[in-house]
Amino acid sequence: MQKQEAEKEFEKHIIEYELLLRKVCRIYAYTNADRQDLFQEIVIQLWKAYPKFKGVAKLSTWMYRVAINTAITALRKKKDFIISYEPASLPVHRSDDNLSHTEEEQLRQLYKAIEQLNQVEKAIVMLYMEERSYAEMEDILGISQGNLRVKMNRIKEKLRQQAKNY
Amino acid sequence: MELEELKQTWKQSEISTNKNLDIMELIHNKNYGPLAALKRAFLKEIRMMAIIPLILLLTNLNDIGGVLRSVMFWSYVAFCIGVVLFASYNYRIVGRMEEMDGVVKSNLEQQIHLLEKRLKWNIVGIRIAMLYFIILTEVIPYFQHYRSLELWHSISPVARFSTYAILLILQYFISRKVLQRKFGEHLAYLKELVKECREGEGAGL
Repeated sequence: MQKQEAEKEFEKHIIEYELLLRKVCRIYAYTNADRQDLFQEIVIQLWKAYPKFKGVAKLSTWMYRVAINTAITALRKKKDFIISYEPASLPVHRSDDNLSHTEEEQLRQLYKAIEQLNQVEKAIVMLYMEERSYAEMEDILGISQGNLRVKMNRIKEKLRQQAKNY
Repeated sequence: MELEELKQTWKQSEISTNKNLDIMELIHNKNYGPLAALKRAFLKEIRMMAIIPLILLLTNLNDIGGVLRSVMFWSYVAFCIGVVLFASYNYRIVGRMEEMDGVVKSNLEQQIHLLEKRLKWNIVGIRIAMLYFIILTEVIPYFQHYRSLELWHSISPVARFSTYAILLILQYFISRKVLQRKFGEHLAYLKELVKECREGEGAGL
């Protein structure tokens, strides 16, 4: 495939799945600048891996893999791999025109609660909210479906506990 | 907080996307991640080591024959070749660490394996370089005369070999400490992620 053709095809895929990538960035990075940096890093990694993508996995599965791998390993670029922010100091999310005030508040609380989870739990809860099947989650994360179910139950319980504390 | 109830809200929520997103500009941007920075550092090392023997030759143009007959010069060329080979190996390892399209858990395990392997070989590499220079310092005076080496050889062998032993012991601890400070935290973080993936394994069977 010609380089230009590949670039065009890749561009089309990124535009199609931009929201998926933005959601990963929203989960893993807390400031707008960090989200933008992470988005750029993910797109670069996707482009690097694109020639090897043979369509064995679904495009969305492949994108999730690259995005999550990049988010949990490559974002730690500041101060020699030291995370430069703490969830507690994060700004409140911007208002969302599609949602009522109550829904917006619920979502804000959900994101706040997700911020307290560990990196792997964040990926699991995001995939769950995106209604990905456990089989697809296993394809992305490499964690068995049985273990994913156990983890998901624990996450739900954690989130319930956190909601009680608000 | 019930996740089932929030699924619809989650789906409805919009995340601002960039309408003027220029994907081509993004992918042609210089990669700035930690691994990319490491790769650039190794590339710089390779170039530097390839240039240094040439600089030595250029600065001794008036006695080029002498330089080419010097055991010290050729030892240094051999050292530079060794460093270039080692930096190329490191460059390749970091390149493999940059691959992000694998299954998350396997990718993390692979990163840990490669990083540990690299750190181990780094310590071995520095040790080999030190042994190489110790041997040269001891052997070269038998073939060619260098004032500084003769001065060093005027000291008793016990004192010389004790100094080498101390240097090798110090190298072992300092290298470990430096590498631990540079990469230890990242390695521990990766191990923690794998632990998070493995937690509860077997529980769902």
